[in-house]
Amino acid sequence: MAFVFKKQIFGFMDLLRFKKMVKIRREKFALAPATPIPATYKVNETAKILHPGYFKGKLVQIDLETPDTKTYTFETSVPFYFRAGQYVTLGCKVGESLVSRPYAISSSPEQALSKKVSFTVKKCGFFSGYLFDEAKVGDVFTIGDPSGEFCYEPLKDSKNILAIAGGSGITPFYSMAQAIKDGTINCNLTVLYGARTEKDLILREKFEALLSDKCRIVYVLSDEKKAGYENGFIGADIIRRYAPDDFTVMMCGPQAMYDFVNKELSSFDLPAKRIKREANCVGVRDVADAEYQITVHIGFNTYKIKASAKETVLTAMERAGLNAPAKCRAGGCGFCHSKLVSGKFSLAGADKRRLADKKFGYLHPCCSYPDSDMEIIVPKA
Amino acid sequence: MKKYDAVVIGAGNGGLVAAIRLLQGGAKVLLVEKHNLPGGFATSFRRGRFEFEASLHELNDFGTKDNAGDVRVLFDELGVTDKIEWIQIPEAYRVISREEKLDATLPFGVKAFIDKVEEYVPGSRDSVTKFFDLAEEVRLAQAYSSSVNGKTDPKIMVSKYGNFVRCGSYSVNEVLKALKMPKKAVDILNAYWCYLGAHCDDLSFVHYASMVNRYMKRGASMPKMRSHEISLALVERIRELGGDVLFNTEAVKILTDKEGGVSGVVLDDGTEVPVRYVVANCAPHVVYGKMMDKVPEEEIRATNARKFAGRGFTMFLGLNKSADELGIENHNYFLYDTMDTVRQYESMKTIKDNNVQATVCLNRAYPECSPEGTCMMYFTTLYMSDDWANVSPRDYYKTKDYVADKMITRFEQDTGAKIRDSIEEISVATPMTYARYCGHPQGVIYGYESQYWDGLMPRLQMMAEDHRIRGLRFAGGYAMRLSGYSSSYFAGDISGRQTVGDMKREG
Repeated sequence: MAFVFKKQIFGFMDLLRFKKMVKIRREKFALAPATPIPATYKVNETAKILHPGYFKGKLVQIDLETPDTKTYTFETSVPFYFRAGQYVTLGCKVGESLVSRPYAISSSPEQALSKKVSFTVKKCGFFSGYLFDEAKVGDVFTIGDPSGEFCYEPLKDSKNILAIAGGSGITPFYSMAQAIKDGTINCNLTVLYGARTEKDLILREKFEALLSDKCRIVYVLSDEKKAGYENGFIGADIIRRYAPDDFTVMMCGPQAMYDFVNKELSSFDLPAKRIKREANCVGVRDVADAEYQITVHIGFNTYKIKASAKETVLTAMERAGLNAPAKCRAGGCGFCHSKLVSGKFSLAGADKRRLADKKFGYLHPCCSYPDSDMEIIVPKA
Repeated sequence: MKKYDAVVIGAGNGGLVAAIRLLQGGAKVLLVEKHNLPGGFATSFRRGRFEFEASLHELNDFGTKDNAGDVRVLFDELGVTDKIEWIQIPEAYRVISREEKLDATLPFGVKAFIDKVEEYVPGSRDSVTKFFDLAEEVRLAQAYSSSVNGKTDPKIMVSKYGNFVRCGSYSVNEVLKALKMPKKAVDILNAYWCYLGAHCDDLSFVHYASMVNRYMKRGASMPKMRSHEISLALVERIRELGGDVLFNTEAVKILTDKEGGVSGVVLDDGTEVPVRYVVANCAPHVVYGKMMDKVPEEEIRATNARKFAGRGFTMFLGLNKSADELGIENHNYFLYDTMDTVRQYESMKTIKDNNVQATVCLNRAYPECSPEGTCMMYFTTLYMSDDWANVSPRDYYKTKDYVADKMITRFEQDTGAKIRDSIEEISVATPMTYARYCGHPQGVIYGYESQYWDGLMPRLQMMAEDHRIRGLRFAGGYAMRLSGYSSSYFAGDISGRQTVGDMKREG
């Protein structure tokens, strides 16, 4: 070594100091209190309210909104909080299947803090049909963690949100309108709400009670001409008529509406960041049916289940009554992240997996259709 | 359920490595992880057309095939190096501090670094060279210590590694003062301090010098597919070696026998796994606070003595312009108010006063990490107190936005880059986020603080006596090597191998 390091006049004093480090640490340990170590901490408790994981919801009220749509209000087992526009999963056992679906929350974040949450759901499929026909006050459901990025983001979005809603796609905007009214979020909301006829408009009176200079709504009826309503589909002309100079589009509705509105928006030349779409659940695949066997490892158990080529791997697991993780059902959230041991599958829509997931053979069962027998390792829900 | 010899709790960096070491030692291993992904902080997430790195700024001590660092050697032994595609970080860092009007950009390479500091601070060469000489002796002494499993011969230590022993009890600032380093050179050299999260009056010189030396000697690395690639490669290896991995599965209790040693683990669904060995990749505070019924008093006192290190905050931005277009010149920035690390540390106690950021533009190391014409950045800071505990759920999102907004403003002011109008994706992780995903108390991301009395040296020297409960060892950022990626991998390596030794000894 080129030089001799010395801090004190005599090097041996540095050596003694070095030797004392253990003694000092032992003393620090011995002198610390023997009080019990806390089981939890403030930040962790707040995190539990922001991200409660699965919790229970007791159905306390059902309101008929339109002939095919009801609002279901739950009293939850824990207080929680979310961002207006987010969804949660609502699930229960239907027959032998464990089923859940993602629904945008239609009530306000503020209400969730006092253990109230509502979903406004149109009867249109297996689970929504079950809710509409079977669910009754007093039933207990499982509710999942608030999720999704379909929210007003002040650091990125325009202060003016142009919401384009189709049918029950009004629900996240109803939550946002309440959050604007009570000061939880600070933006201007213009909703273009498309429905077939006036009587198909959901949550109309409730929404209108929230209107202000920060929140307005325009009804666009496709199958009905009426004074005070726009007629047709939500196209460039209507958008131009109501949109402020600078705006961020948030769309929630059926795929057909997205396809149409996307084309109409092209003349506005908006950057990608100015257009947000809420994802829709992956549905059935239009192929000739074939039956495959999927070997599923969950926890310490292995199951052999049947799967249809038309349905996703997740649906196959749910039909078999397996406790499989499910959240967005659109491939994006990654909650159902599972390992492929063998077999082939096809993706519904764009590949939203992480790069390394592709490399190491992981899949999201919610957006994957089986193309052969498969073997997969799935985390329990 | 098959019979297991050991359960590893937590698939963070330490747990993953410990599991492989146990398997390599012949044990039957169950690894349980409460999240649905491995890695702990070592993961990635997608937003729109971006895949963000969740935490890794740069991997220290990895190096290249021809200049292998200790982490690469470890990964070679684990059998994972070639499962991962690596890139090299181009330059060390750019440090900007307002008070001193400091703006310096430093290269990797010991010689290049010394030359550059001399350019900024004429006359600093002698002291900076001595710093690296000392640091190299520290590295050699550590290598010797590892080779004898910490049972060092005092005579050899004093005769061969005298400088190491003589500087080993001092803080960074005490040693740099003894080296008569000019203040500006000290300021430049201390830029990395926030990576270790203790100020330089407290931070052990040995610890800091060891890190800086490894950065300069080996450069820094990054997996192409973000740290998620490392984590999945480690899981792949565990499965190849016959280990079982359960995600979404939380270990809720560690059971003990009459003598107080480990006898089993209870999972969140009530399953009891009888096992005599546990490697816990989590905080001792978590284990002793809620997972064990009878904890020796000595262990409780020792745990109460520790101080939590920094609570994390990170903002992730996906920008719809390239780094060139936006004027983002560097890969790795440290932005400070002052290079007086004691005062800076104090200001990091509150949400209002903390302006520190360690910021990365990943495209400057790996241009293809995001689509052409875009780039992505992540901005990290630490809170040195529990100010976030004062934030209610109702104020949470506003507070997040307040800090994120402040970070953007600060970055623009200090670097001249303009990023605000190009934000296509934004995501923010707070202490609550870290508490949620990894269960760390108060959202701590840096384990126990590297305080003077609880620094790297005394922890390593007391490794044997810190092991008080038969069958229970710790891995990860709270353990003997302190926090950070490479340290957590090493802690997993040490605890995994030690547990194999325990099994052999205890039969």
